[in-house]
Amino acid sequence: MDGRVTISGLEKVYGQGAERTKAIEDLNFEVDGGEFVSVVGPSGCGKSTLLYLIAGFLDATEGTISVDGDPINGPGTDRGVVFQDYALFPWRTVYENVTYGLEEDGVPKDERQNIAQKYIDMVDLDGFEDKYPKELSGGMKQRVGIARTLAYEPKILLMDEPFGALDQPLRESLQDQLLDIWSDLGKTALFITHDVEEAVYLSERVLIMTRHPGTKKTVAEIDLDRSGSREEIVTSDDFAHFKNDVWKSLHEETQTEVTL
Amino acid sequence: MLPTPVQGVVNTIVDWIPLGIVVLVWELVSGGIVATDVLPAPATVGAEIVGLFVSGEVFSHLFISLFRVGVGLGLSILVGVLLGVGMARSDPVENFFDIFLSMTYPIPKTALVPLAILWLGVGTKTAILIVFLACLLPIVLNANNAAENVDQNLVWAAQMMGTDERSILYKIVFPATIPEIMTGVRQAVPIAFIALVSAELIASNAGMGYLILTSGQIGNYPTMFANIVIISAVAFVAVRAFEEARGRLLVWT
Amino acid sequence: MDVTADASRGLDLSRLVEFGKSVYSLVILLVLWEVVGQLGLIHYYFLPPLSDILIRFAELTLSGEMLFNAYLTLQRALIGLAIASVLGVIVGVLSARNDIVDWFFDPIIKIGYPVPIISLIPVFMLWFGIGDISKIIMVAVGTFWPVAVNARESTRQVETNLIWSAQMMGTSDRRLLWRVVMPAALPGILTGFQIAMPLSLIITFVFEMVAGGGGLGALEIQGVRSFESAQVYAAIIAIMLIGIGLDRILRFVRGRLLHWT
Ligand SMILES: Nc1ncnc2c1ncn2[C@@H]1O[C@H](COP(=O)(O)OP(=O)(O)O)[C@@H](O)[C@H]1O
Ligand SMILES: [Mg+2]
Repeated sequence: MDGRVTISGLEKVYGQGAERTKAIEDLNFEVDGGEFVSVVGPSGCGKSTLLYLIAGFLDATEGTISVDGDPINGPGTDRGVVFQDYALFPWRTVYENVTYGLEEDGVPKDERQNIAQKYIDMVDLDGFEDKYPKELSGGMKQRVGIARTLAYEPKILLMDEPFGALDQPLRESLQDQLLDIWSDLGKTALFITHDVEEAVYLSERVLIMTRHPGTKKTVAEIDLDRSGSREEIVTSDDFAHFKNDVWKSLHEETQTEVTL
Repeated sequence: MLPTPVQGVVNTIVDWIPLGIVVLVWELVSGGIVATDVLPAPATVGAEIVGLFVSGEVFSHLFISLFRVGVGLGLSILVGVLLGVGMARSDPVENFFDIFLSMTYPIPKTALVPLAILWLGVGTKTAILIVFLACLLPIVLNANNAAENVDQNLVWAAQMMGTDERSILYKIVFPATIPEIMTGVRQAVPIAFIALVSAELIASNAGMGYLILTSGQIGNYPTMFANIVIISAVAFVAVRAFEEARGRLLVWT
Repeated sequence: MDVTADASRGLDLSRLVEFGKSVYSLVILLVLWEVVGQLGLIHYYFLPPLSDILIRFAELTLSGEMLFNAYLTLQRALIGLAIASVLGVIVGVLSARNDIVDWFFDPIIKIGYPVPIISLIPVFMLWFGIGDISKIIMVAVGTFWPVAVNARESTRQVETNLIWSAQMMGTSDRRLLWRVVMPAALPGILTGFQIAMPLSLIITFVFEMVAGGGGLGALEIQGVRSFESAQVYAAIIAIMLIGIGLDRILRFVRGRLLHWT
């Protein structure tokens, strides 16, 4: 399947001189096409940096990132980002935010309308097309953020703690919506979170990063039976077991940080 | 790579090259394309500034201007803070003054100079009044806004610890509003100088504005330019000094 | 039915009381002004009765003198402001987006912004005379700074995430300016205009007072010189109306353009 991300020898250094910070060091990792991978790690370990490097917003200091074998060169419409703070255009309505990428692509108006409506319905926002972002709650804004990114049909979804600012019930419902969308559309998903349960619940694999400067610590394979309901999954022994594994691994990193 | 201090100096020089270019163009244009009468060269103006200070000619006018701006601004801070905080804490005060503020708010205060001449004649009183009026609104608005938005939790915390109703005002409300009052004053300082020079151009027999106007009228252009540079420098220093003072005063913000 | 009617009447009454509370002080002042004037407690020259001032205002308006002078003032202020707005936004936005432009303009803005711009009036009289052109250029030069500074700051503060969002959806660097940067910076740019507008009037009035050539400033100062104090007050009323009017227009435009904020 398309949408394979290959990261090799990645290093990112911010600033120079006294302000020089190495955020990411020698990271090698591959996300398969259509795979759902979460990234967890101590705060400040370079998770966002990694995501924005893949998005092409930042340039790597060393190493390469390739999509389906081609090294990336800046942002491209094959990748779509969902930001933690939504980053919607406040001067555009929900509908206009969702059609933005299609406008840039030169899609004709009636086609834009169809596509936008499809994704607005998909995230349960029909009826809110003409609202401005300021009129929406956080959860609704993030659903617009997701619809906007889906609408121009990138192969790869990059999400930086997209539900981090939302309360628990809302997170859970958005997680389920996201999983539905992901299995319907078959996209590659890279999902950053600091919530171990969220990572285990959503992903096929979890990349655990070391503390600053960040690199790959381990990768946990989450081999869960996801056929049941949320309650069945979350209360299963397997789930507890995977959660424990990831938590322990992550805890070692935060421990070293505290004792230092 | 260069060591940091050297790098800093180099950066500063590079930063100010454009201004050097402007001065250079001015120097070249003056006496070339444009007559020195109309645009005295920077060197001439520089020499004139030195001359004005050496002869002491400028001091009396500068002191008069500083006095006017200082008193006007000082009064506006005093009245502005009292009014702003008073309007926030008391409805009758607000009801009484609010209409005057909203009616005078859109009047450019320098349009009141002729009225000030009617009442106070030409001179210091008029200049002080105009500076006072021009600076009053930004200070009132900021003080009022701050006093209305004092964090209620602070007030409750103080009450919980036994502060009585009257002490709340000067123990909590005033300190909490100081940063925004400072913001108001910061906005007012440049306005004060505009008001000052306006009043002195129109209604004064002394002061920097008067000096600029009269040296222009008698065709003494180097003096005119020199005095403009001096009053601009004073305004610049006033803003910088205020910001410095604010930084020291508000260490807790 | 009765209940709702009652409720709305009650509401109207309390609104009326609120309104009364908010204007009573002005009414008292105006009445006092008239009484003091009529009784001659303050010399006519200082404070003519309000009615005399309003009559003078009406006379000047009906004769067309007031309107003509208002037209002169507004024309000078607004043309100057328009020029400054265009140049200020261009310079401000470009220097926020381009390091070389910023390198050039930053020190000039640092030095130019604090200059009490009014002090340059004699210079402009020397360079461009005392006519309309001179006044317009003076207004343009004076109001350029707040427009440029606000445009620059608000452009700098455009969130990186918004720019990244547009880039990921395929916006080229060239189109970024119109698609994202300008709309995102618009609130700050409009704030610049709102600061510059009263400044344009200030500069125009003072220039007119110093150099003549008609306009409301000249009308005022002429009133002082001819001991016609009612004319001074009448001109100030006109100035107040213009100030309020322009302020309202700008607020309205702002509300319209920024209904999404
Ligand atoms: N723009 C930047 N300039 C300098 N340092 C940065 C910048 N962005 C992030 N950093 C540093 O890089 C490290 C990783 O940051 P980030 O990727 O945001 O971590 P995370 O998302 O895992 O919390 C941190 O130490 C942070 O301080
Ligand atoms: Mg982060």
